[in-house]
Amino acid sequence: MTERTAVVLAAGEGNRLRPLTRHRPKPMLSVGVRPILEHTLDALVDAGITSIVVVVGYKRTDVQSYFGPSYRDVPITYVTQEKQLGTGHAVLTAESSVDEDFLVVNGDQVIDATLVRDVLDAHDEHDSAATLGLIYRVDVGEYGGVITDGEAVVELVEGPQDDRDYRLNVGVYCFEQTVFEAIRRTAPRAGEHLLVDAIDHLIEIGNTVHGVESDGFWAEANYPWDLLGLSQTLVAEDPLIEEPRIPESTNVHESATIRTPVVAASDCEIGPGAVVGPYTCLGTNTAVESNAVVERCLVDTDGRIGPNATLVDCVIGRGVRIGPGTTAPGGPADVRVADRIYEGRQLGALLGDRVNDRGGSTYAPGAVVGADATVRSGAIVDGCNRSAIEVDR
Amino acid sequence: MCGIIGYAGSDPDTTENVLLDGLSSLEYRGYDSAGIAVANGMLDVYKRSGELSVLESTLDGKTVTGPVGIGHTRWSTHGPPTDENAHPHTGCSDRVAVVHNGIISNDESLKSTLTDAGHTFESDTDTETVPHLIERFLDRGYSPAESFRHAIKRLDGSYAIAAIFHDSDEIYATRRQSPLVVGLGADATYLASDVPAFIEHTDRVIYLEDRQVARLTPTDVVITDDDGERVDPAVDVVDWDPEDAGKSGYDHYMLKEIYEQPQAIRQSTRGRILELDGSVTLPDLPESIVEETDRVQFVACGSSYYATQYGAALLRERGIPTQTFVASDYDVERIPLESGTLVVGVTQSGETADTLGALRDANRAGATTLAVTNVVASSAARECDATVYIRAGPEISVAATKSFASQQATVAILASVLDGRRPNPFLGGLRDLPSDIQRVLDTSNAREIAAEIVDADAYFFIGRGYQWPVALEGALKMKEITYAHAEGFPAGELKHGPLALVTERTPVVALVTGSNEVVEKTVGNVREVESRGAPVVVVTDSPEDVAHLADFVLEVPETNPALVPVVTNVQLQLLAYWTAYELDRPIDKPRNLAKSVTVE
Repeated sequence: MTERTAVVLAAGEGNRLRPLTRHRPKPMLSVGVRPILEHTLDALVDAGITSIVVVVGYKRTDVQSYFGPSYRDVPITYVTQEKQLGTGHAVLTAESSVDEDFLVVNGDQVIDATLVRDVLDAHDEHDSAATLGLIYRVDVGEYGGVITDGEAVVELVEGPQDDRDYRLNVGVYCFEQTVFEAIRRTAPRAGEHLLVDAIDHLIEIGNTVHGVESDGFWAEANYPWDLLGLSQTLVAEDPLIEEPRIPESTNVHESATIRTPVVAASDCEIGPGAVVGPYTCLGTNTAVESNAVVERCLVDTDGRIGPNATLVDCVIGRGVRIGPGTTAPGGPADVRVADRIYEGRQLGALLGDRVNDRGGSTYAPGAVVGADATVRSGAIVDGCNRSAIEVDR
Repeated sequence: MCGIIGYAGSDPDTTENVLLDGLSSLEYRGYDSAGIAVANGMLDVYKRSGELSVLESTLDGKTVTGPVGIGHTRWSTHGPPTDENAHPHTGCSDRVAVVHNGIISNDESLKSTLTDAGHTFESDTDTETVPHLIERFLDRGYSPAESFRHAIKRLDGSYAIAAIFHDSDEIYATRRQSPLVVGLGADATYLASDVPAFIEHTDRVIYLEDRQVARLTPTDVVITDDDGERVDPAVDVVDWDPEDAGKSGYDHYMLKEIYEQPQAIRQSTRGRILELDGSVTLPDLPESIVEETDRVQFVACGSSYYATQYGAALLRERGIPTQTFVASDYDVERIPLESGTLVVGVTQSGETADTLGALRDANRAGATTLAVTNVVASSAARECDATVYIRAGPEISVAATKSFASQQATVAILASVLDGRRPNPFLGGLRDLPSDIQRVLDTSNAREIAAEIVDADAYFFIGRGYQWPVALEGALKMKEITYAHAEGFPAGELKHGPLALVTERTPVVALVTGSNEVVEKTVGNVREVESRGAPVVVVTDSPEDVAHLADFVLEVPETNPALVPVVTNVQLQLLAYWTAYELDRPIDKPRNLAKSVTVE
C-alpha cells in the first residue's frame, strides 16, 4: 500500500456553537457518542490513509489528550496554528510535515470513507494540481459552491445566491505541493488566508483542478440543533453506526426502559424506572438515575441525570449534573445565536460543559446556559444565560 | 537503577539502531551516561557520560555492525557519571563486555581478589568486577557459557546482567531482584529491563525469573535454572501500544500525563463502581482476602507513599486499623505483624526495589500481600498473593502525576471494598471524579500564579486531614521539577517550628477544603503566615469564604470531601509544572532522579 498523508484542520472554535465550545474546539463536540473529529479520522483510516497531521489551535490540549499519538494504529502528528488566520494559513502550518501529494479535510464535519476514497482515486487518475470532493445538493446557498465543466473545476463561489448549477464543496481535497506557494501568493480576505482562494489562484495561473462528484456521506453541524439532528440521523439509519447499541460495560437496571434507537458509550448506568430514548445518545460514564426520562437528547461524557428529571430535545455538554426533578419539556423554540434569532428550532435546552443544575428547575424551550454555571434549585430558565454566572430566578 | 537492552539478530547492520532506539525508550530509568557494545570478531565499545544524544553524536559517521550487541543507560550509584564509569564494561582484554542494573554488594572483596590476580580496573563501578571475573574463567579454558555461569555464582546483591563475547553470536543474561525481560522476534531476539525497549519489534515476551540464565541467539532463546537445567518458560503476549510513548504535541510528558488524568481515572474506576446495587468492587481481589483482613499495613516510597497515607486515613475512618511505612524502613522483625494483617505494597512500576524488599519480608513473615501497581506482570504483581492494577496507562515523566491520581482512586476503592458498606458513600463521587478533574484542567489559573511566585526562597504546602498527604505530594512535585526548596506540613504543625522559616519570600500554598470546622482551623493557620507577609495561595472548593485571605486562589469544584484530595492535587501539579516551565527546567528528566528506582 502506498504511503498517504492527510492533513486535518481542527484549530477553529466554531463560535456559532457557543457555549459548547467554551473549553474545546468544534471538532471535539460530540455527534452520537463520539467527537466529530473521531468520525473524520475513521473515514480517513478506512480509506487507507497511513499518516495523519492534525492542525490544532483553539483549546488544542483537548484534541491531543483525546487522541494521543495515534488513532487506530495510524500515527498522528500535531502542528499548532497559533492564530486562526484561515484554512489556507492552517494548511501552511502543516507544510513541513508533508511531502508529495496529500489530502486535506476539515475536521469539523462528518464524512465517510467513500468520499475520501473517491477524492484519492480521482487524484491518482488525473494529473492535476488539486482535486476537490463534491456532492449534489439542491440548495448550496449556505455552503461553498463549485461550478464545473466536465471534471474540471472552473469557479468557486462562497455562499452562491444565483441559480447556476452548483455542486457543494465538501472540504475534502487532494493537493500537490504547489498549493503551498499558491496559498502564499493569495491575498488575505478580511485577514484570513482561505484555501478556496488559493485553489482559485491555481486555476487562474493555468493549473488543472479536478472535481469529483461523490455519493458519500457528508454533514455539517453549524448550530446546536444540528448536533441533535445529525446525531439522530446517525443513530437511526446511519452508514457509520451500524445499529443502536449498549455496550457490556453499561449497566441497565431491569426495570429501566430503552426505547430504540439509543446509543450508549461505555461505563454508563441506567437506573430503575428510567426511560431512555428514542433518539438518545449517552456519552461515556453517564449516569441516568431512577425514573429519569431522557428523550431525543445528546448527552456528552461524564453526565449525570438526576432522579425524576425529564429532558426532551436537549444538548447536554460534558460533566453536566442535572438535579432531581428538573424538567426541560422540549419543543420548537426561537433560539438566539450570536446576534441572530433562529425561529422554530427543535431545542429543549442547551447546557454547556459542567453546568451544575441543583434540581427542581424548569427550562423553557431554547434555554441556553453557559459552561461551569450553577443553576439554583427551583430556577426557571429561559433565553441565553452567559457562562459562569449563577442562574437564580 | 539503569536500563539494559540486548539484541541478537540476523542483520548485523540493524544492531546499532535497535540498541539506540531501545535505550531511548529506557532513558526514564536513568540518563547520566550511555553506551553500547557490538561483537563482530572483535568488540566495538562506545560509551559516554551525558544523555543518550551525546553517545549518538559520538557514533555519528561510524559504522558499528555485528550480529549481537548490548546497550546501557545509567543512573549513577557507584562513582560519578564519567565516560569510564559508563557501561558496557570490559575486562583486561576486549573479550567480554557486560552491562548491569542493580548493585553488586561483594564488589570490594571480588575486586581485591582480582587485583591480586593481576587484573587492573579502570572505573569506580561495582559492575567492572563482572567482566574481569568472567575473563578469569575464560583464561582457565572455560567456554563463554561456563565462564558466565561460574562468574554469576560468585556475585552477591541485586542485578540484571547481560554479557557478550567477541567471537560469539550469543548473549548471556541473568537476573536477581532486578527486572529483565526477553523478547522473541521473527528473526531476532531481544533483552531489556522493560518491554517498551523492544515493543516495536515484538510483543512476545518471557519474563525471566530470579537466577535463571538466558542464552539468546538470532533464532532461539534457551533458559536454564540455577543448576543449569533447561526450563520451559511461559511466553506472554503484551498488550501495549508503542505509540503511547509519544508526546502528542505537548512540550513535556508531564503535562501530557496531567491532562490524561480524567481518562486515567475512568480506566481506574471502570467496572469497579456499580451504582445500581450501591457497591464498589475489586473483581481482582479474592473474596477470601477481603474476609480475612482485619488490619492493613501499607508499604511504599515517594509519591506512592503519600497515596498510602491518604488510603490509611480512609481505612482508619472505616474502623480498619491501618499503618503506613516508608518501604525502605519497613523492618518486619521490629514491627508487630498480627494475624489478619494485609500488607499492601503500592508501586507504580512494580519494580521499586525498596517496596519489593518490604513485600518479600512480609511474605516470609507469613502475611498476606497485595500489590497495587500500574505495570502488568511486574515483579510486585508476580510475587504478591493478589494484585490490583491502577490502570493509569504508561507514565514516562519521572515526576509521577496520573499514576498518583490513579493510586488515590484505587486505594479509595480498596478502602470501600474492605469496608463493604452499602450503599457505598463514594459511589457518586468516584464517577464524578473525571469531570471534576477536567474542570480543573479547563479553568486552572495555575500558570498565571506560577509566574507570580516563581522567584521565591522556598515553598510551603499545608493541609489538614485528607489534604495532608496532598500537601506532601505538592511539595515533592515542586522540589522534583523546579529544584526549589519545598516542604509539606500538616497545617497545625506550622506554628510548632516551621513558621520560623516563613517570610515574604516564601509562598505558602494552603489546601482549604472539608467541613466547616476543618476549614476554620486551616484558615487560622493561613492567618498565621499571612501576618508574616508570606504570599498565600489557597486551593479551595469554597472561594467565597476564603478568597479574602489569599493573594491567589486556585479553585476546585465541590465534591465528596473525602475524594476532593484527588482534585486539589491536580492544581498543585499544574502549579509545580508551570513554575518549572518558567525556570526552564528539564521537566521530564530532573537531575539526579530516575523513574523506576530499582536499587535499595
